[in-house]
Amino acid sequence: MTAKIRFFARFRELLGTDIVVDVDGKTSLPDLVKGIAVKNREGYDAIFDEKGAFREFVILMQNGRRIETTEAAAVMVADGDEIAVFPPVAGG
Amino acid sequence: MIAIQTADVDIGKMIDGAKRHGAGAIVVFDGIVRDDDIREMELEAYEEVAVPELEKIAAHATKTWHLLSVDIVHRIGRLSIGENILVIVVSAGHREDAYDGSRYIIDTIKKSVPIWKKELTKDGGRWVPGEHQHGCGQ
Repeated sequence: MTAKIRFFARFRELLGTDIVVDVDGKTSLPDLVKGIAVKNREGYDAIFDEKGAFREFVILMQNGRRIETTEAAAVMVADGDEIAVFPPVAGG
Repeated sequence: MIAIQTADVDIGKMIDGAKRHGAGAIVVFDGIVRDDDIREMELEAYEEVAVPELEKIAAHATKTWHLLSVDIVHRIGRLSIGENILVIVVSAGHREDAYDGSRYIIDTIKKSVPIWKKELTKDGGRWVPGEHQHGCGQ
């Protein structure tokens, strides 16, 4: 069972994107993102604060639907999920 | 037309297409790359989310301001100073609705559509901070 993580903008530069990871149905969304982010200190620090919580401005999506960072710990990642992690948008 | 694309757009054609029966006003918004001491600008989008979000914004504007047509083209990729970034063309029976609808569309895009800009300078680059810290579609 696998899920895909997509980082965008500055997070993508630091951590890459379209990363396929194994999931077992018991992996929480924060744990999934941390598992990737720990591989790059700057990338980790861009997304997580010193207590390991998502920084306030980080935006999360699961299969295109917004997940509040404060509620992400209760969200389990399922087989086939696409998780997106990105900073505030700046289009237009 | 609602699109995210690398290619430039023909604004004249978009205006012609907006001349629907009953139209009395067409408003064009053209956001371009500003010369803020940069060389180029690079844009990226989460297209699978951004396109439906643009469609939702267009539908809301159409319903609220009785617009007769809405076309939105947001470009991505590397753009030079002066190039078109975002073109919005709306038509309505009267100018008030056309202006208000256009204004709603650009303001909402800036806070809710997952698109990012990086200014490329001679010293490297800098990501443009979002105007809305929590911005993105639901």
